[in-house]
Amino acid sequence: MEKIKKGLKSDTNISVLLVVFIVVTLVLGFMLQGKFFSINNFQSMAFQISEFGFLAIAMSLAMLTGGIDLSIVANAGLSGIVAAFVMSGKFFDIETMNNVVVIIIAVFSALACSTLCGLFNGVLIAKLSIPPILATLGTMIFYTGLGMALTNGESVRVGVKGFSRLSSMTLGDVPYIFILLVVTFIIISFILSKTKFGREVYMVGQNPITLKFSGGDPEKILIKTYTLVGFLVGISALIIISRVNSARMGFGDTYQLQAILVAVLGGIDPDGGKGKILGVALGITVIQFLQSAFTIFQFTPYAKKLIWGALLLMVMILNYFINNKKVIKSLKKVKAN
Amino acid sequence: MKLRKLKQMEKYLISILIAYIIIVSVVSKNFLSVNTLFDLLKTSSGTLILAAGVLMVLISGGIDVSFTAIAVVSGYSSILLMMKLGVDNIFFALIVAAIIGLLLGIINALIIYFFKLSTFITTLGTSSVFYGFMTTFIGTSSISVADKPQSLFNFGKATLFGLPLFFIMAVVILVITWFILYRTTLGRSIFAIGNSEESALRAGINILKTKLFVYSYMGLLSGIMGIVYFSEIDLINPISLVGTELMVIAAVVIGGIRLTGGEGTILGAILGVSIIQIFRSTLVFLGLSTSWNDLFIGIILLVSVSLISYQERKSNKEHLIFSK
Repeated sequence: MEKIKKGLKSDTNISVLLVVFIVVTLVLGFMLQGKFFSINNFQSMAFQISEFGFLAIAMSLAMLTGGIDLSIVANAGLSGIVAAFVMSGKFFDIETMNNVVVIIIAVFSALACSTLCGLFNGVLIAKLSIPPILATLGTMIFYTGLGMALTNGESVRVGVKGFSRLSSMTLGDVPYIFILLVVTFIIISFILSKTKFGREVYMVGQNPITLKFSGGDPEKILIKTYTLVGFLVGISALIIISRVNSARMGFGDTYQLQAILVAVLGGIDPDGGKGKILGVALGITVIQFLQSAFTIFQFTPYAKKLIWGALLLMVMILNYFINNKKVIKSLKKVKAN
Repeated sequence: MKLRKLKQMEKYLISILIAYIIIVSVVSKNFLSVNTLFDLLKTSSGTLILAAGVLMVLISGGIDVSFTAIAVVSGYSSILLMMKLGVDNIFFALIVAAIIGLLLGIINALIIYFFKLSTFITTLGTSSVFYGFMTTFIGTSSISVADKPQSLFNFGKATLFGLPLFFIMAVVILVITWFILYRTTLGRSIFAIGNSEESALRAGINILKTKLFVYSYMGLLSGIMGIVYFSEIDLINPISLVGTELMVIAAVVIGGIRLTGGEGTILGAILGVSIIQIFRSTLVFLGLSTSWNDLFIGIILLVSVSLISYQERKSNKEHLIFSK
């Protein structure tokens, strides 16, 4: 108990988030009661969270290094199209093949495509020193262009039966994809807090020059991070096309803003080097609760946009005050000494 | 006046443009005509106006993605106000839109300055707020051709010295922007805070004033562009335009801006906009669908930023400069 108390004190952001989380849950539960606290609602939230959760983790990783990845949605679209092409027999004949084999090939090609796209981002950022925001702006337009040129903007139907079942299967009442997301959260959290690579990701975000002079290789870390970002985006792409059973460029455009919102809400510092994946998990949950409440209240997409934008600004301004209080406190200490 | 030498990036862009124009005119006889040129000038005017503001923001070391939202919000609201008050005057529309844009730009600047927030994420937030506010509380219904004020039609068709009025406006705005950036102390401070805010502050530059100017100028231009945009198209649809902001930024970046701020030229921005506009309107002449648009622009943008960043990286290495 002592430990938890200490932990909460040391991490203002997570404790604030926990309070927000509890308040949001109570308010929504009170206002909507049975509609909110039903297995059905929680199950559909679990499905939606998994679709977008991987993108949020990916964005958080990029932001931890002090960068940002604007290309995640474009990358997800392109990888989804590659997978859909495989499964609609556009690349090779799938009539004679076993469905399971086709699905495995599709999964591998989507992951390979998204990881390569991530690697490409990483190389541009690390080896050519292009600022992440402009490098990924370029690749965003480029990946979208590739996807559009390949499909002419039309959607590609998945022709293999059974692929859509992958995302709808449940263990008891819990969707498998949700379990996959939780496991990914645990793995990424472990990597960031317990491994050398994780430490170095934080150091790149805080000060790459210091890392360089202490014997680290910021460039390598950046490439590795953006490749990992790409891989996570690939998983998200597969879940999305499995849930819609087709792939199209431009699907999930709103996820871009939401991914940044979740990362910032979760306490990831946009300047890099600060933040915890646990915070991001809480952030996603809060956002998803609100999202499903908005759906129940039947808000228009415009009203949602207004609320997301206002929330993003409010969280950043709140973070500013929290952090500044710390700075002022430590300055006072220095003066007192 | 002595003309400065062209920068390397500008030379590349001019050669790409010339090569592309030659290819298109060989393939399609219809391309090289006064009509096409006239259309091109007219359609790129709005983007050029925005590009002037974007260039200034990028030089100051920031990035603003809220300008399309500002353009739509101020353009649409001022046209609605115009119809409600029954004032059918283009100057009224332009002034009201410019004031709304200016105010929204000031909001951006204040948030960015006082909370020391990342410009990209702030303007991403404000653009959703501005746009969401308008669509939720003011309206989303489009104004049909029949209801559209006559003065907007006249403004859309107006010409001066045989050139579209829009284009003349864009040129005037570019010249003003050039003058502010290169011939005033304000311009020097914008370059200075782009290079290093810390050093600029120590040199006695008022950061708040400079940022207020940069973002309110961007807002003002967006407001004007909102009216230009709605005069150019027939149907006034408030849910268009938003989403194209990254393309305008891409155009200015292609023009060879030093990406960490502190450098950039008007000519480069103009060339960047021309390349994007020409691609957009002439891929059809080459028999390619518009779906190929993004692919080409993406490639040019990537090559352009790679070239500039790589050169800077090399020179940093030679001079043992370690920077983020």
